[in-house]
Amino acid sequence: MSERPRRIRGGMFLLTMLGGLLMLPPLVYVFDQNISHFGIPQIVFYLFALWLLLVIGTGLLAHAMPRDPGDGEG
Amino acid sequence: MLSADFVIATAIAYVGLLFVLAYFGDRRARSNKRSFLHSPAVYTLSISVYCTSWTFYGAVGNAARSGLEFLTIYLGPTLVFVGWWFLLRRLVRISHLQRITSVADLLSSRFGKSNRLAVLITCIAVVGIAPYIALQLKAVTSSIQAVAGSSEFGQGSLQGIDDVGLAFGIAAGMALFTILFGTRHVDAKEQHHGVVAAIAFEAVVKLTALLAVGIFVVYVGGGFESIFAEAAAKGIVVDAQDTFDARWLTTLGLSVAAIVCLPRQFQVTVVENSDENHLRVASWAFPAYMLLMSLFILPIAVFGLTKMPAGSNPDMFALTLPLAFGQDGLALFAFIGGFSSATSMIILESIALSIMVSNHIVMPLILRFSSGVSSDGRGVTRLLLVARRFSIVLILSLGFFYFFFTRDSDALAPIGLISFTAIAQFFPAVIAALFWRDASLKAATTAIAAGFVFWVWCSFLPSFESVSPHVAWLLANGPWGISWLRPEAMFGLDGLDPLAHAAFWSLSANILLLTLVSLVTSPSALERIQASIFVDVFKRGHVPRGNFVPGSATANDLFFVAERVLGDRRAAALFEAEARDSGVDPDMLEPSPGFIGRLERELAGSIGAASAHVMLSKVVSGSDVSLEEMMQMADETQQVISYSQELEKTSAELRSTAQQLEDANAQLRELDSQKDEFLSQVSHEVRTPMTSIRSFSEILLDGGEIDAGQRQHFVSTIHQESLRLTKLLDEILDLSALERGERSWENRPVDAEAALDRALTVCEGLLRGVMVEQGGRAQTTMVEGDADRLCQVFINLISNAVKYNDSAKPLLRIASTVRAGSYTVDIADNGPGIAKGERKLIFEKFSRGQRATDQSGAGLGLAISRQIVTRMNGSLDLVQGALPGACFRVRLAVMR
Repeated sequence: MSERPRRIRGGMFLLTMLGGLLMLPPLVYVFDQNISHFGIPQIVFYLFALWLLLVIGTGLLAHAMPRDPGDGEG
Repeated sequence: MLSADFVIATAIAYVGLLFVLAYFGDRRARSNKRSFLHSPAVYTLSISVYCTSWTFYGAVGNAARSGLEFLTIYLGPTLVFVGWWFLLRRLVRISHLQRITSVADLLSSRFGKSNRLAVLITCIAVVGIAPYIALQLKAVTSSIQAVAGSSEFGQGSLQGIDDVGLAFGIAAGMALFTILFGTRHVDAKEQHHGVVAAIAFEAVVKLTALLAVGIFVVYVGGGFESIFAEAAAKGIVVDAQDTFDARWLTTLGLSVAAIVCLPRQFQVTVVENSDENHLRVASWAFPAYMLLMSLFILPIAVFGLTKMPAGSNPDMFALTLPLAFGQDGLALFAFIGGFSSATSMIILESIALSIMVSNHIVMPLILRFSSGVSSDGRGVTRLLLVARRFSIVLILSLGFFYFFFTRDSDALAPIGLISFTAIAQFFPAVIAALFWRDASLKAATTAIAAGFVFWVWCSFLPSFESVSPHVAWLLANGPWGISWLRPEAMFGLDGLDPLAHAAFWSLSANILLLTLVSLVTSPSALERIQASIFVDVFKRGHVPRGNFVPGSATANDLFFVAERVLGDRRAAALFEAEARDSGVDPDMLEPSPGFIGRLERELAGSIGAASAHVMLSKVVSGSDVSLEEMMQMADETQQVISYSQELEKTSAELRSTAQQLEDANAQLRELDSQKDEFLSQVSHEVRTPMTSIRSFSEILLDGGEIDAGQRQHFVSTIHQESLRLTKLLDEILDLSALERGERSWENRPVDAEAALDRALTVCEGLLRGVMVEQGGRAQTTMVEGDADRLCQVFINLISNAVKYNDSAKPLLRIASTVRAGSYTVDIADNGPGIAKGERKLIFEKFSRGQRATDQSGAGLGLAISRQIVTRMNGSLDLVQGALPGACFRVRLAVMR
């Protein structure tokens, strides 16, 4: 596996781990404040925003990953 | 006003539409491999079967009861798809290579094609999914009742029919529907394009329905802000204080496991996948779909809590809110949406489970009790289909009975989570199967069995609490009053959420046993092979090996087996292709291990890996012994292979380095010998004049009787010889400078004709007595070069032509032309010409024509001239000229 796909793979791993950490305690407590934005509790905002970012990030990374799956270690 | 009769009629019409869709989808996909049904969009939508009526109705209820918890069910799968590269891609690749048909098949195939493990997993799945199916039945029943209860005429013909009767009717209808289009044929790869098309369509319907209800609610409620504000005024707040506890973690973890291991999810994500690259799209599109699905759930729940009378079922808000606002059309759409999500789940789940039951339970039984291969000629295919139909009925019946016994429990989501906990028991084994070489069959079996026992005790049993006083007593006191065995407080672990409690104990026991037993047992040979196939799937260009060695099997026996399972045509095609590949007559085909392996995978596609293996072992006798020996080596071989690949790579590098060194060495040697040759030639050339200079000067020094005339002669000879030496050394220096490119050299535009004229003028003295014929001259022509150097070349050529011309009437012909962008000068003479053998050599250093009589030139002139012309990007060649002697041609590019 050449340099670029390896980096993208690293990015995917990071995104997955980060996504998991950000939706679990204790990190999720950071955003669990008793504040509302536009009437919507901040934590709801936070979780949906995180979700959206994960979708976008995955889309970008999947797009950047070269098509041919090759035989590199997965 | 909507009535129950009307919505039921609509539902039936909708099912009819699905049937038509599935039918044409199937035909289309079969006739056209590139149809849009094979597109990543349809693939993604079919994965959305994950969103069942649990999502459509249950999530709203869950949000109303416990706030944000409903999100975990979608965040978990999001994580799995975000990390698709690591798990799903591997799963899909392996399943394609091994023709895996279900999660039971996957694990059984990985752990030595064990059928016992497959049976265990199938049984757990069938039991574990029952609550999930019950959930769907309950949701559809409740939604019909909600419509019926919405007005006084709503009941219609439902009058006198209770929930149970309604649910029974729904279950029966669903069974009929699933059988009708889920089990029409047995596909080689267990792919159901028609069903997938219908599921994709349903995914669109349920999403638009929920979005429509959501937008309606936001519109009626006056925007997000006012919905939340109004709710807050009534004291309804989304309280996230206690959300992120053990339960949050548990549901997140369970949903991660469920998206991989749920039979229907495995079916759509892995088995129905026709192209690995579709995962790229699904990786973000499926999370996006779930995001859209969840977007309005919270507003609907909050708005429902605010507006609906106290005590109304929050699970049904998506349906009852439009009804309460008199929006019958929207309510009907919402009902269809909910119905859609329920039907798609029931259809796909029961198809997936029926494949497991028929492949792993029915098929092995047939194999065991039909002695030999010859008994049943009608084909296994038919039997398989019948088995599948019965399993579908069984699965829906189990779902119905679960519903029947637990119909009093009110919320939908907790029922689903019971199923998730059961299915999650497969997850550790799946992960170990894909990544851990040492995981063994015994470990996987004990781990899953133990997890299942804990699940039955801690999760399944307590769900009957409300219907059975005995269970209620058990929950309170434990069996025989042993309090530390109480199902919801095992080993005294009290006060934990029941779900978290059940998941903790079952999965802990599961993982612990899986690792522990794996470490203390040693896997069989077949397990080791399968382990390396699974774990190393991306390691090398994988050539799936056959696990059989050719024993007593004849092609005839094998064909008989293949024919029974695959049918006449496909079996024949397979065998003919093999015969063609090996270049023999089909009757003479000798089954090779590779072919038997391929056949086994084909069979596995229809009846599962374990059954295929058993079936072939019956024919290929004596194989297991040699298999044992062969595969004992496989593990080591595999390591040796990778080691030797490493070595090979290293030694290849070494070889190429050595080759480079050798080349460089040869070049150096060549240069060295050239240098030696040059030196010896130079010394030879220097030696002749030096000898005469020395001898003459010695004579002069002796001071004997030499007359003035002789002295004069000696001195002038010495002078001439030293002039010649100087000239020689100048030329050598010049040539070496030219060759090494040291001398600063600038090509600038020069008039080549002028240079030629100048050369002729310089040579005028030399040309006395020589007839010079001007053979046509070009006009003034500009070329890139150095005028002095060019003149030097011409002088050299002209003087050569004169010097070596021994003809009585020397003739020189000089012609220049411009043709096709190049300027050409021909200098020809009528001398002896150059002998054939020397033509190649004359441009070399110190080469003089054989017939050169005098020693005035050192043989460097032509070498220097050629170097000069080359530096001007031109060429100097010996050509066939107009005169009998030699003809040299200078060719230079004309400047434009």
